Amino acid sequence: METVAVGLRRHQARHEMLRLYHWEPNANSGKPMLALAEKGVSYESHYLDLLKFDQHQPAYLAINPDGTIPAMVHGDRVLTESTPMMEYIDEAFDGPPLKPPSALERWRMRWWMRFFDAYFGPSLSMIGWSVFVGPAARQRDPEELHAAINRIPLEARRIAWRKAIFNEFSAAELDESRRRVIWATGILESHLTTHEWIAGSTYSLGDINGFNLGYALPLSQPAVCNDERTPHIMEWLRRIFERPATRQTWAKGRTGLAARVSMLERHAPAAG
Amino acid sequence: MNPAVLELYHWEPNGFFLKPLIALEEKGASFTSRWFDPTRFEQLDAGFPSNVELRLTLEREGPLLVADGEVISSTFFMLEYIAEAVPGPALMPEAAYDRYRARAWGQFLGLTLGSTTSALGCARYLAPDLARRDGAGLRAQVERIEPMERRAAWLAVIDGGSDETALAALRERLSLPVGRLEASLAQGPWLAGPQYSIADIDAYALVDPLRELAPEALNSAHTPRLLAWLTRIAERPAVRAARARSRSGHPERAFVPGVEPARWG
Repeated sequence: METVAVGLRRHQARHEMLRLYHWEPNANSGKPMLALAEKGVSYESHYLDLLKFDQHQPAYLAINPDGTIPAMVHGDRVLTESTPMMEYIDEAFDGPPLKPPSALERWRMRWWMRFFDAYFGPSLSMIGWSVFVGPAARQRDPEELHAAINRIPLEARRIAWRKAIFNEFSAAELDESRRRVIWATGILESHLTTHEWIAGSTYSLGDINGFNLGYALPLSQPAVCNDERTPHIMEWLRRIFERPATRQTWAKGRTGLAARVSMLERHAPAAG
Repeated sequence: MNPAVLELYHWEPNGFFLKPLIALEEKGASFTSRWFDPTRFEQLDAGFPSNVELRLTLEREGPLLVADGEVISSTFFMLEYIAEAVPGPALMPEAAYDRYRARAWGQFLGLTLGSTTSALGCARYLAPDLARRDGAGLRAQVERIEPMERRAAWLAVIDGGSDETALAALRERLSLPVGRLEASLAQGPWLAGPQYSIADIDAYALVDPLRELAPEALNSAHTPRLLAWLTRIAERPAVRAARARSRSGHPERAFVPGVEPARWG
């Protein structure tokens, strides 16, 4: 009975409108994009340019009043938290399961996703915003920028944007973020030495989450993440990049940000 | 497969420690209670169960569940584990969207109240308690703590836990999560769908202490629905049974450092 009910719900789910509002296949936007690709679910894609503050325009705020990306609308249901959104995608649609069969491995998957989302990610993104998002946004008219910042609904996001745009990160803050990135990279390398995938023996949402966080680590942190120091991370990233769903998702990128993924391409050893 | 042997390492039934106690009582699960006092740093003793996830847990100090020898930390995910692996009444909503809502609450409240409620409670109760102890001996114990973020959380309580300006800033941060909870309860009696779930257990443990720690944020004028919801949960037999495990008679005074506040934004 349970199986029939779940099957019926999934059948109905397939026929409901599905819209995803996202930026580049990167960080939080890339999580639902890659999860949907792995499930083989097609969706109406709405690309928002983060650097043009599309996410703070009234049309989008009507969908997600917090003004954060991504957001997913399925039928009349609105989802705005990217990690729980991935679990929803796995549960609501047919396709290969993206959560491990054992409760213990699901716990481990969730623990690591939180470590990525709340510890590793914020440190990495502070560095990324100081070197990429801030300088890119500073190309625009300062008055327009102030007005754009004032439209940001969440105070925490207003502070983050202000710091990024006006380069207000202190040296101590950036140093601490760099320390955390180095330390967390070591923790991840050690985990992947004893686990094939984040949760254990199966590819899961934990790997999707980690790939979105870390696909560019070898490029942005070349001294920290490379074939000598972190061979298990490098192999794990390459294995994920080889998956058709990953290729398909990163091909949707429009900027150099997503294009960084190409450095994970395996090259045939030189002849001779 | 259901775990055959469950052991819960916990302290007073408050905050993070309260969550799995309620969930296990709701399940009617048989488990071995392993009591420890985190303010005496018993969790650092040799022989205390550990693994990499426990050492790095972002909740800093909290309960741990040992299921057939596997160490499970991080309380919202511990609740999901109990909901999924322990037989008994369902504690996870049935519909996928309601499960999304439960997880979204767990994430949002974990990162907001997980930090703020703990910090307010530590300032009120833990800081004065630590101040009465031998300062040099206490610091020697804290120096052993790894990783450095976990050590820093204790030093923050010892060195500046009751700074009034910092406390006022913390109280201001309550308005976002408390406002959202109150608004959500206008839509229905529980946080994630038609039934009581782990979202309610998780939020209850983080919100209930605020009645005393932040009455200006939580009161019958501003948050009538939230107060009624707290009362509904407090009256559940499982919650009473969990609270009854207190050894001090004042579980509401038991706080240890919690989640680190967001570092930027």
